Amino acid sequence: MENGFIILFGLTMLYLAATSRIVSHIRLLIIQGIMLFLVCACHFQHQSALNIAFLTVETLIVKAFLIPWFLFKVVNKNGVNRDISANIPHFYCLVIASIILLLGFVAPNYFVHSEGMKMISPLYFGVSLATITISLWLITIKHKIISNVIEFITMENGIFLLALSVAKEMPVLVNMGVLLDVFIAIYILGLFVNEINREFKDLEVSNLSDLKDYE
Amino acid sequence: MINTILIFPIIACILMLLVKKRAFDSFMINAYAIVHFISSILLALGIGKEGNIPYFTVDNTNLIFLLILSFVFLMVAIYNNGYSKTFNFSDKKINHYSLMIMIFTLAMSGTVLSSNLGIAWIFVEATTLSSAYLIYFNKTKHSIEAAWKYVFICSIGIALAFAGIIFLNIAQGEINTLDFAQLYQHALAFDPFWLKMAFVFMLFGFGTKMGLAPMHFWLPDAHSQAPSPISALLSATLLNSAFLVIVRVFKVLDIANCDAWARAMLLICGFISLFVTAVFVYHIKNYKRMLAYSSIENMGILAIGTALGGAALYAVIAHLIGHSLAKASFFLTSGNILELFETKRIKSVHALMEANKKTGWLWVFSFLAICAFPTSVLFISEFLIIKTMLLEGHYLLCVLFVLLLTIILWAIGKVVINMTFGKLSEDKVQIIEKNKQKLCACMFAPQIIMLLIVFTLGVYIPEFLNNIINCAVAGF
Repeated sequence: MENGFIILFGLTMLYLAATSRIVSHIRLLIIQGIMLFLVCACHFQHQSALNIAFLTVETLIVKAFLIPWFLFKVVNKNGVNRDISANIPHFYCLVIASIILLLGFVAPNYFVHSEGMKMISPLYFGVSLATITISLWLITIKHKIISNVIEFITMENGIFLLALSVAKEMPVLVNMGVLLDVFIAIYILGLFVNEINREFKDLEVSNLSDLKDYE
Repeated sequence: MINTILIFPIIACILMLLVKKRAFDSFMINAYAIVHFISSILLALGIGKEGNIPYFTVDNTNLIFLLILSFVFLMVAIYNNGYSKTFNFSDKKINHYSLMIMIFTLAMSGTVLSSNLGIAWIFVEATTLSSAYLIYFNKTKHSIEAAWKYVFICSIGIALAFAGIIFLNIAQGEINTLDFAQLYQHALAFDPFWLKMAFVFMLFGFGTKMGLAPMHFWLPDAHSQAPSPISALLSATLLNSAFLVIVRVFKVLDIANCDAWARAMLLICGFISLFVTAVFVYHIKNYKRMLAYSSIENMGILAIGTALGGAALYAVIAHLIGHSLAKASFFLTSGNILELFETKRIKSVHALMEANKKTGWLWVFSFLAICAFPTSVLFISEFLIIKTMLLEGHYLLCVLFVLLLTIILWAIGKVVINMTFGKLSEDKVQIIEKNKQKLCACMFAPQIIMLLIVFTLGVYIPEFLNNIINCAVAGF
C-alpha cells in the first residue's frame, strides 16, 4: 500500500516535467502533500502521539493546504498562468525526468546489501533522490520565477521523503524548526515574487541578470 | 549568559514593535550589542557557563567565534548610529530594519552557540531569512535581484545540507543523535561511505552560506546591494558561523579516520575560491563587489588552512580574527565612500584623500590589513599556512597559493590606489562638500579600533587570547 503511494508520488514529478500550466503545478503540490500524509499514516502505529500530530500538521495542513493556498494567491495576484518557454521541449523534459526516476527505482537495489542501507527502504530512498534531482534540474531550465518556487517546494518534499526513508526519528524540535524555516522561506519567496512583478512587470528569470562583474 | 544572549533580542523585538520610536530602536540595538559583548566576555572568563537552555553550549571551539561575533556586532552597532542618521526613510521602515538586525544577530548567535547539528541547521536557515529583508532594504531593482538570488540559492544549499544530515543519520547505524559531543564520541563506529556522502552534502550546503566557490554566486550581489553595516555583518560574522558548522562536521570525519576525503574536498573548494577571486577581481567595476570577492578569497584560505591541519590550524583561527575585523572595517569604510561619492563605481571615485582624509587613510589601512601587510595578523596566518605547505611538501600547491594571492593583491591594490589618490574634478567637489556633513565621529571610530587591533595582534597576542586560540585549535 505504502509503496503504491510512493510510486504515485514519483509519478507526480513526471507530470510536473511534462506540463506548463502553473495552476496545475500547484494542484500537484496538493497531491504530493496528501501522498506524503498517506505514506506517514502507514507508520502511525509505531509512533508517539506527538509525532503523529506533528506529521499530520506538516503534511496535510502545511504541505497540502497552506503552501498551495498561498501560491494560488500569488498566481492570481500576478496573473501568470503558463511557463511555456522552457529551454527544452516538454517531450524531452518528460523523457529525461523518466530516466532519472527509473534510475531512482533501479540504482538503490545495487547497494541495498551494504552496511548502512540496512536502515533504509530502497524504494523511499530512490524516489526521494530522483525527486530532488528532477526538481533541481527543472529549476535550471524553467523561465518563470514562480515555477522555480514550485520546484523548490517539490525538492523540499523529496527531502522530507528522504527523512522518512531512515527508520529513525529526528527530535521533534528539529522537525518543527525545519518546517518553520521552510514555510517562512516559501512565504518570503512568494512576497518577492509579488515585488518582482511590481518592479519588472513580468516574472521572467532573465530579468534578474543585471548584477554582474562585466559591463 | 547564553540565555541572556538568546532571550534579550526576543524581548527587545517585542518592545520595539510596541514602541515604534526611532530613538528607542537605535537604543535597543546598542543595548543588545553591549549585552552581547559583556555576556561573551563573561563566558570567555568562564562565568555563567551553567544553567543554559538545552541544545546550546559554549565550548573551546565556538568561544572564539562568539567573541568575534560580539565584537564585530558592537562595532557595527556603533557605526550604525551614525549611518542610520543618513537614511531618508519612514520610521516604520527603520523600525523593520532595526528589528531585522536584532533577529539576524540572534540567528547568528544561535548558530554559533548550538550544540546540536539540527538546531545549527535551523539557525543557519534563519540567518538567510532574516537578512533577506536587510539586503532588499533599499528596494531598488538591483536589491530585489540580489535578495532573490540570496534567498533562493542559500535555501537550496541549506536544503541539500539537510539531506547531508539525513545521510549522517544513516551513517550512524543503531545510534541516533545529532548532538556534536555525542557525534564525536561515537564517530569511530559510523559507516565511512555514508559519512563521506554526508560531508559532501554538508560542505556544499553550508559552504553555500560560507561563500566558498563554486557556490558563491549570491555573495557578491548580496554584499554589494546591502547597506554597508549589513555587508560588514554578512562578511565578518555570517560567513564565520557557517564555517563553524563545517568545522564541527569535519571533526566528526577526522575522528572517524575519513579525513583524507574531507581534506581533499576542502582543499579543492579553497583553491577554486582563490581562483575565482583572482579571475573576477581583476577587472572589477564596483568596489563593494571587490570586497565581497575578497571575502570569498579569505574563506578559501580558511578552508585550505583547515584542510592542511597541524600548525595551519592556529593560522586559521588567527586568520578568522584578522579577516573579520579587517573586512568589517573595509566594508564600513566603503559605506563612508558611498555616502561621499553616491556611487559604487570604481571609475567614478577619485582622490579619496582630498575628499576626506580620514576615510582615505582608513581605506588604505583596511587594504593593508586585508592584504596581509606586516604587522597585520593576517601576515602571520598566511605565513604559517605557507610554512605548513612547505613543511608537508606541497610545493606545487604553495606556488599556486602564493601566485593567486599575488594576483588578488595586485588587483585590489590597483583599485585602492586609483580610488585614493589623484585630483578631484570640479563638479565632484560640491557634492562631496555637501555629503561630508553626513559623516560623524561614530562612522570612523569603529574602523580605527578594529584596525588598531588587527595591526597590534600581528606583533603581540595577549596571553588570554592566545589561550582561547590554543583551546580552539585543540577543539578543531
